[in-house]
Amino acid sequence: MAPKAVAPAVVDEDPQAYEDKNVHAIYDEIASHFSSTRYKPWPIIAAFMHSIATGWIGLDAGTGNGKYLPLPLDRPTDILTIGLDRSINLLRIARNAGDSSATREVVWGDVLGHGWRSGVFDYAISIATIHHLATHERRIQAVKRLLESVSPLHGRVLIYVWAIEQDELSKRQIPTGDGNSDRIGRDVVVPWVLSKKTAAAGKETLEGQVEQPVFNRYYHMFAKGELPGLVHEAAKDLGIQVGQRPMVLSDISTIRRGVEIVQDGWERSNHYVELRCWEISG
Amino acid sequence: MVRLITHNLLACHVKGCNTNNFPLEFRDVQIELREAEFNPEFLKGFMPKIEWKALVDAARQLGDTSLPLEQPEMLDDDFLKNLHHVLLEIHVEEGIMTCPNCKHDYPVLNGIPNMLLAEHEIG
Ligand SMILES: [Zn+2]
Repeated sequence: MAPKAVAPAVVDEDPQAYEDKNVHAIYDEIASHFSSTRYKPWPIIAAFMHSIATGWIGLDAGTGNGKYLPLPLDRPTDILTIGLDRSINLLRIARNAGDSSATREVVWGDVLGHGWRSGVFDYAISIATIHHLATHERRIQAVKRLLESVSPLHGRVLIYVWAIEQDELSKRQIPTGDGNSDRIGRDVVVPWVLSKKTAAAGKETLEGQVEQPVFNRYYHMFAKGELPGLVHEAAKDLGIQVGQRPMVLSDISTIRRGVEIVQDGWERSNHYVELRCWEISG
Repeated sequence: MVRLITHNLLACHVKGCNTNNFPLEFRDVQIELREAEFNPEFLKGFMPKIEWKALVDAARQLGDTSLPLEQPEMLDDDFLKNLHHVLLEIHVEEGIMTCPNCKHDYPVLNGIPNMLLAEHEIG
């Protein structure tokens, strides 16, 4: 397979309209082929889901084909994850993710919305989703929505986004920066070539050849440090302190709510952060 | 899927609609019953997060009167089995959920609730 060429992108219109065209419409087109390539959960996400307490409910913001909804595999009914996505065709797949006889809870919606009671979830994950938002402000907003969706007392959050720093195995060629600081990240489009099988269900040319349409999906590739930066900005907007829960209560006369960055790392071409909320009452 | 466990979490998020925006009211619903694995430990862990009155009202709207009006302190097996059925085995496949405050309609199609808003409606 030829290296996947990644081309620079310029978001030069209303970001919502841009995302509709360059993200959402594409996922609806490629849903079944995309889903067939996405089945194995990454280790850190599987471990996170495994660590969730029995009786907890969670939100998977940008659930795609719902591959995380059946986790943890060894005790699947101990927790309930509700999948949220903008692509109705991916949600139709997510409904039966992992087991065609099982019914998953899925909601058609946007990660910038908040169509639930504030703080009602115990945990939230957002995997490979926030990098599809076309402005820095919208990416902050998405992190705010995650922080607002979980319990201020104990809510846990895991976020994955695509990194500029790519795995050697990924075979992707990344355009080099244009003089911007690496902390800013890079806007790109990444081609998705529809499989022959999926394309064949569409149209054939006169010669009987199957045309393989190419869809260019928009991504914001994150620089190192950029994702925890979003967490800081989101927390500031919400009036939440970033850091560990204070041990000595006399120090916290003014601090009421906080979020701790438990992990901040890179795995297989992605940056991730794990967050834990805390609140001091009284 | 809209099972009542999910319905108990959903709230209207139209711009400016911040009070009395829960629970969404069901209308013109078609339901299906599907068996799910009974897990009392999950139910006990989830119970503190339930808005009880909203759950009882929604269950009654859908024809299930098995839950008591007050959340009981004693969690015996009969109660937990009724709770399990209400939360996890009643599927709303089609219908409309209406905000009690601003009257925005959120449709349910093929078991998937549509919580998308137009850009000017987003808060
Ligand atoms: Zn409303």
